[in-house]
Amino acid sequence: MTLTGEGLQPSEFAVTAARAVADCADLSLREQARHLANDGLLGVMASHDVGGLDLPLAFAVPVVAAAGAGLLGFPLMEALLLGRVLQETQPRTAEAVVSGEMLATIAWQSNVSAAREGESVVLNGWIARAACAREADCLLVRIGESGAALVSTNSNGIVVEDATGLDLAVPEHAVHLEGVTIPAANLLPENTWRVLCSDANVLRAAAILGSAETCLTLAQEHASTRRQFGRALSYNQAIRHALARQKLGLEGIRHAITRSVGDEAGALQRDAAFLAAGVYGSAISEGALQIHGGMGFTWDVPVHRHLRRVRALQAQGDASEVLAALGRRYVGAIAPASDVTASR
Amino acid sequence: MTVIETEPPAAASGDLSGEAYRVAMRRWLRANLPANFRSDSAAFSPPTLPQSIAWEAAMYRAGLAGIIWPKGYGGHGRTLREHLIANQEIGALAMPESVNSIGKELAGPIILAVGTEEQKRRFLPAILEMRDIWCQGFSEPEAGSDLAGLRTRATRSGDTWRINGQKIWTSGAYRAQRCLVLARTGPLEDRHRGLAMFAVRLDAKGVRVRPIKSIDGRESFCEVFFDDVEVLQSDALGAPDEGWAAAIRVLEIERATNRMYRAWRFENELRHVISACKADPVLAQLVAERHYEVRLGEIVVDIEVLKAHVETAVDALVNGDRIGARGSLAKLHWSEAHQRFAALTLELLNQASLPLHPAVQVARRRFEAIYLQARAETIYAGTTEIQLGIIADRILQLSKGK
Repeated sequence: MTLTGEGLQPSEFAVTAARAVADCADLSLREQARHLANDGLLGVMASHDVGGLDLPLAFAVPVVAAAGAGLLGFPLMEALLLGRVLQETQPRTAEAVVSGEMLATIAWQSNVSAAREGESVVLNGWIARAACAREADCLLVRIGESGAALVSTNSNGIVVEDATGLDLAVPEHAVHLEGVTIPAANLLPENTWRVLCSDANVLRAAAILGSAETCLTLAQEHASTRRQFGRALSYNQAIRHALARQKLGLEGIRHAITRSVGDEAGALQRDAAFLAAGVYGSAISEGALQIHGGMGFTWDVPVHRHLRRVRALQAQGDASEVLAALGRRYVGAIAPASDVTASR
Repeated sequence: MTVIETEPPAAASGDLSGEAYRVAMRRWLRANLPANFRSDSAAFSPPTLPQSIAWEAAMYRAGLAGIIWPKGYGGHGRTLREHLIANQEIGALAMPESVNSIGKELAGPIILAVGTEEQKRRFLPAILEMRDIWCQGFSEPEAGSDLAGLRTRATRSGDTWRINGQKIWTSGAYRAQRCLVLARTGPLEDRHRGLAMFAVRLDAKGVRVRPIKSIDGRESFCEVFFDDVEVLQSDALGAPDEGWAAAIRVLEIERATNRMYRAWRFENELRHVISACKADPVLAQLVAERHYEVRLGEIVVDIEVLKAHVETAVDALVNGDRIGARGSLAKLHWSEAHQRFAALTLELLNQASLPLHPAVQVARRRFEAIYLQARAETIYAGTTEIQLGIIADRILQLSKGK
């Protein structure tokens, strides 16, 4: 992959990423980290100073989509985001994440209090939806509304619970923090979390796009080759129309993501891409499961694993609250109509 | 004809681009749109036909119609991106639909595609100047979306064709000067082959137009009967066997690009219904509840996805791609999303407190009409079922065979 050219396109990363994801199939998490790092994939968004490629979010989209399509069992989105989030304040950690030496993850849910004690900060509370936290070296934890702190997982007072969650390939752990002391330097600037979540939602949409695309391809192949009552399933109008709706949803996700990384995009476009991906992605993978019939419930057909992942990503991004907040902001920004006219 | 006094044409010089063009279009529209045209205003009263004609002619002079048509045929010779910009500004205001959208968005593009030089010079400026309003004679009583089953016949003798048959669901035929007629020149068994397209004058001898009252109480649909109507070869569009190909091309354009302002109009409607709700104490409380925040949020996502479909289509066309069957994706999305939204507006406005706030009255009048009209959106320009079939056949290429 040439990275010096001015005309580098996000789509060029898709092929490299798909190959790297396939190669990760039987590797341990540590081996996957080094493998993905060697292909330059963990540092797509991180600065050159920490060994990254310093490319915009749009370039991470095809990488994460390929990981979704191939059901990569690695917290790739978290690594991509942390490389960039930590590059200013924790450059050595960022470098270790980008090079695959260190395994880092993010807890997407939290209820944590932070108390300052001299040069240290003491954390107490619960975090959850932390992908692969049991094996990770460090965790990013949300503090308050929009702050964040980096916590080493071998600190005293960290208790990692067994994983829950639908996605078995990327187990989501809950973690109890009992008086965990971290250096004050590990506190990240206010607003870090907000920016992180906004980028994460675009990348979740990308991961869902990859999963949804795989599900539709599998359903399409199955409907064309599986014969029932002497005909291919695709002979039935109900099946044809169901697949056509899935295609509409898939293109909706794809176009919404493109729009969300465009020049004029803001929070609205990003939230919309994530929400559209959640709604259509679930419908596509659930629909693909239905078309596969009983076969879809076996481990041989990966459709249910994609469904698990889509639903997990929707929950990690707290889709129901994002949707309500989007409606609230929209309604809040509109003035009441006067008696005379509602026109602007 | 009613004269609408407007400011000087905004884009006459043609040297504006990008944001400057947007600002010029926005200023002109807001300064000149008559108050009674705005369905979100208490001053609204449906414009008369002469008023609509005068307004649309003024829009054309200001640079807001024929935007991408070549200058030689009366167009403004601008880019598709500028067309999108103009449409975003048109969509932002609650103005009526064009009375000549068939002329501007169907007949015009097909004449540009398959018409002779003489036809382009004769028909296109007349459409933009609103001298010729067009209607579309595709559907027939025995064939709705199934154009391959058309029975209206055209038989040729020298330079003259004779057309016999009947069209139905011909929107606006009672006010139109020309009808874009698809007629069969070969046997019915030929299905897609042997279909030709004609520009038929509706005042020609043997044409009879009968309006049909529709769901919104207006007489917008018509039946059109052709009884030995003589049409000169100079009014035949494209070669006889090109009729089907031309129809498909037109319908692809219709689905992908017509009323490109739709997403932005849809947004105008959403803003209107929210502003009306916020003027009423009961509704203001309702739209602040989580249930309606979520449901309105879903509509916002629908609109953003529609914008994404439209912008992707524009990008594809700018890159020289054919839209093809992909036009069905946007059509399916907007028609169903608008129905979901229209139903929600009724549900909200029906919960208003008494006495009705004037803003709620204005909104009810607008959204009750929108609700009824939206029922047709999953039928016209190809039904939902037709679109699903197109996506299955031509995009997914699913096998239908045994």
